[in-house]
Amino acid sequence: MSAVDTGERRRSGEHRPVITELIDEATVQSIAEDAWTALVGEDEFLLPTPGELPADVVSSWVDVVGPWTGSVVLTTGRETAAGLTRALLGDHAPEELEDEDVADAFGEIANVVGGNVKAALPGTSALSLPGVGEAPAVRNPADLCRVDVLWRGEPLSISVQGALPALPVPSQH
Amino acid sequence: MKILVADDSRVMRQIVIRTLRQAGYDDHDIVEAEDGADALSKVSSEKPDLVLSDWNMPNMTGIECLQALRSSGSAVPFGFVTSEGSPEMREKAASAGALFLIAKPFTEDTFKEHLDGMLS
Repeated sequence: MSAVDTGERRRSGEHRPVITELIDEATVQSIAEDAWTALVGEDEFLLPTPGELPADVVSSWVDVVGPWTGSVVLTTGRETAAGLTRALLGDHAPEELEDEDVADAFGEIANVVGGNVKAALPGTSALSLPGVGEAPAVRNPADLCRVDVLWRGEPLSISVQGALPALPVPSQH
Repeated sequence: MKILVADDSRVMRQIVIRTLRQAGYDDHDIVEAEDGADALSKVSSEKPDLVLSDWNMPNMTGIECLQALRSSGSAVPFGFVTSEGSPEMREKAASAGALFLIAKPFTEDTFKEHLDGMLS
């Protein structure tokens, strides 16, 4: 028996949990419902019913880095994101929304949902500032907890998705 | 009283200000800051009676702003309004000198619970 510690045993014994071991769909749905009631309005509900997302979608997300690393991503139609922005701004909503308004409002919803998902995960994690645009790709379908809902009849998805395996780094020329 | 609301999201600043009004604190002056560095500078120039600050912000985070304030000798009452309400964050906030941490999403009742002794 060799006394040399190669670290192999520790490495092979390491277990990085996938998200479904840490959080379930009902918890994600409940976190989102609380965020909607507080931010969007007291009478605003998320129906747990899947709908077909339109072709023109926008996503907002925050990254969670810790014992589990990944992103909490909200995706909906561009019109629905604008509707959410108007609801958040209330009386302060301008007649013509700027892209910046939608990025700010939709990003903030991802921040609140993501912050609460992070709080429900074990251990200490860090949260990024929100991003808005094209959703980060799902890297591992087994490391995904997705909830599909309807807000005012329009589809919206909330995806808690792992960041591994890392995407290949594009070669530099 | 003058309240400084610091958040990098303009929408969230509006929601915080709206919630303050809904909670009955509608006769206070409000000053806005768009990140921790802006808040630090406005504590000095505007001399608010209370700072309500987000945690995660570009340029300077809320906790860095609080630490900078305390190291410069400022004892301005400071509370966090943040999407991160884990026990670790609460402990870190309290040990840096924050009076409270309100987790987003919040309601006007949450605001009343933390601010009633201070503002009314």
